[in-house]
Amino acid sequence: MTLLEVTALSKEFDGLRALDGVNFTAGDREILGIIGPNGAGKTTLFNLISGIYPASGGEINFQGKSILGLKPHQISLLGIGRTFQIVRPFQNLDVETNILVAIGHHFYPSLWKSAEPFRQPEILQEVQRLIDRTGLRLFAEQLAKNLPLGIKKRLEIARALALKPRLLLLDEPSAGLRFEESAQIMDLIRQVRDQGIGVLLIEHNMQVVMDLCERIVVLDHGSKIADGSPEEIRSNPQVIQAYLGKEV
Amino acid sequence: MRRESQVVSGRTPNSFRLATYGSKMISGYLITILITVVIYCILAHSLNIITGHAGQISLGHAAFFGIGAYTSAMLYTEAGFPFWISVPLAAMVAGMVGALLGIPCLRVRDDFLAITTMGINFVIEAVFLYIPFFGGAMGIGGINLPNWLGREMTKPEYFLLILVVFVFLLLLDWKLGRSWVGLAWASIREDEQAAGTMGVDIVRFKVIAFILGSAIAGLAGGFYAHFLTFIMPQNFGFGQSIVILCMVVFGGIGTRWGPIVGAIILGILPEVSRPIMEYRTLVYGVLLLAMMRFQPGGLLGSESILTKGLRRYVLRPLSKKAS
Amino acid sequence: MLWQQLANGIAIGSVYALISLGLTMVYGILRILHIAHAGIYALGAYIGWFSFRLIGDFWLSLFIGMAGAAVAGILIERFLYAPLLHLPRIAPLIVSIGLFIAMEEAFRIVAGPHTLTYNARIGLGDFSMGSFRLTETQILILLVTLIILLFLWAFLTKTRTGLAMRACAQDAETTSSFGVNVGAIIAVNFLIGSAMAGAAGVLIGVYDNQVWPTMGSIPAYKALAIVVLGGLGNIPGTVLASIIVGLAETFVIGVLAIPFPRDAVAFIAMILVLMFKPYGLLGKA
Repeated sequence: MTLLEVTALSKEFDGLRALDGVNFTAGDREILGIIGPNGAGKTTLFNLISGIYPASGGEINFQGKSILGLKPHQISLLGIGRTFQIVRPFQNLDVETNILVAIGHHFYPSLWKSAEPFRQPEILQEVQRLIDRTGLRLFAEQLAKNLPLGIKKRLEIARALALKPRLLLLDEPSAGLRFEESAQIMDLIRQVRDQGIGVLLIEHNMQVVMDLCERIVVLDHGSKIADGSPEEIRSNPQVIQAYLGKEV
Repeated sequence: MRRESQVVSGRTPNSFRLATYGSKMISGYLITILITVVIYCILAHSLNIITGHAGQISLGHAAFFGIGAYTSAMLYTEAGFPFWISVPLAAMVAGMVGALLGIPCLRVRDDFLAITTMGINFVIEAVFLYIPFFGGAMGIGGINLPNWLGREMTKPEYFLLILVVFVFLLLLDWKLGRSWVGLAWASIREDEQAAGTMGVDIVRFKVIAFILGSAIAGLAGGFYAHFLTFIMPQNFGFGQSIVILCMVVFGGIGTRWGPIVGAIILGILPEVSRPIMEYRTLVYGVLLLAMMRFQPGGLLGSESILTKGLRRYVLRPLSKKAS
Repeated sequence: MLWQQLANGIAIGSVYALISLGLTMVYGILRILHIAHAGIYALGAYIGWFSFRLIGDFWLSLFIGMAGAAVAGILIERFLYAPLLHLPRIAPLIVSIGLFIAMEEAFRIVAGPHTLTYNARIGLGDFSMGSFRLTETQILILLVTLIILLFLWAFLTKTRTGLAMRACAQDAETTSSFGVNVGAIIAVNFLIGSAMAGAAGVLIGVYDNQVWPTMGSIPAYKALAIVVLGGLGNIPGTVLASIIVGLAETFVIGVLAIPFPRDAVAFIAMILVLMFKPYGLLGKA
């Protein structure tokens, strides 16, 4: 089932075309890879989908409805969660509290409900469930700023999952991780997919991308240059050119 | 108001005798200091909501203090409203103005926000100073202590009154801290943009902090007006904003007790030390400078000398003994 | 009459430019609101006054005032701002405010709360043409400002250091990767900005024939308003805004004769512009 439809999406920054007429779709229960050389516009794409920047042109439809012009918190309430390329957990809050912030997403719109205490049994249970699901049990009470990078990345994913998303945008979740940590994150992503959530994955690690993704979209200089299965992408001459051309 | 029934119903008909006995016990000067300190505690607490909890820098907080004071004063002197009505109304007016000013403020970034809040302080002070309706440079006088039990309150009773209100405010703060609102504020303070992607409507929660902070400052203004019995525009200018900021910074921005500790220390210090009184302004300047340069978290901040010292010399040995 | 007001306005605007430029330059490179800059302005006035008392030569005292201000600026950057750059922006801002307050008090304690009169002998003479008249001090202001602004323009556009400074303001990290000593550039930035403020202090001290402890207060607020008006970090914008404010003040008071607090004009202008252009006249997001 199609979750996300991106049509002719463009973004300009002060005359620089970061994205130019990008088209693709993403569905549930699949992991769609977004790859491309540095500066291709991948994170910009995520920023547009999650509402951090307004688009300069084109359409973004989520579950059939346009999400253009919506604010980030509205978009996350609709069911899109994301992580950041450079991790941004709430540094001075502990792991549990980080996740709690996201769990409260459906309370925030109501002034009345927001005034309720958050230490309710069901809420706390849900936090613990998420902590276990993402393997954060050992670190539950630590401050985010003291966590090793791999754990921070898992915290980001846990936070995004707390939003009960239908679509998850993961921005380079394995960057900077050791091999085993990377493998663990990949397992987690597979589980997420199996539960019916659609995943958009930006990655530089080709091994990971080829292993995980059913489909791949390739961006270069803001435009989509290829779209297909890992095998198709691997042998696509344009893709090879784009990457080789960038190699020093 | 709630505290009215708390205080009044608990008293016996001999309250008058009790009160005069109390006043003889506590000298007038001491009571004045105590009342002033509590008012500053309320003020520092209110600024902490805006600057500490929601992380929005406000360099013009005295403006809301002034709006509360003037509103209460004018309702009392011009419209004959009693204290018990004029002060809550003053808080509401201050809160509304806070909302009005807060909304455009929030579209504006860090540095612009700082300048804008300063500018607002100036404009409001100028309004009080230049528009004759507000009494001009001479201000407004003839504002009395509230009446209750058929007579005017004594100063010690007034002190208890505002102390009770302050405790109530602390309770409210505690409750908010345990609610989703408090969580939302913490997330905004830590990382606004990330908070937005977690479902937090940053604009809305910032406005809430602004409204709450300015309303409470307005409340303090009402208390101040009825205690001092006259108010002048100079009391509510940038200098006053700096004093309040100093208390919050010194004690620790964002901590619950920091601003209160700051208000108590900086409220009492000039009274007990003549040289500090003389060079008060210099002290505030150097304090702001030194605190931010060397101990930005304030006295009660997590990295301060005090906290670290407590941890090392008191808490850790204690927990070692326990295990 | 109109020409007279125009000249008056431009003279005042020039001094505002001298003060505000330092502020906008510091913001451009460090993203800090350097409120203490107004303290440096007053410091320049005091140092100029003292050296004039000692030496008796006006031009030398102007130079010494500028030099003293420049040194103060560099010291402030090194010891107060540099260590705080990793903290949220509110930290250096509060430090700056605290410093400014402390400086004003220090002036009061050291030099006394009373106004000091400059009584400088400049030796230029007035200029009159019919009813149009430029006083000696106004000529001085226009002359000094013109020279300084020309020097600044030449420095920023023609020299390597000036180019490096503009580059740093755009993107310090990239610039340093080109081998530029960013720390030195920042120091030069403060040196020039503070020297200009010091000059402004001396000029105003002579113009009003007054030097007093809180003389920095009004310029502090006004320079902020001007800098926001012109776009934070935008040098041409700041010059433009300074002239506009100078002219606006002169015309509002002189021609329209509105009984308005003169100093509120700057703030009102700023608020009005910000409502339509939230990043200032020439500013960019």
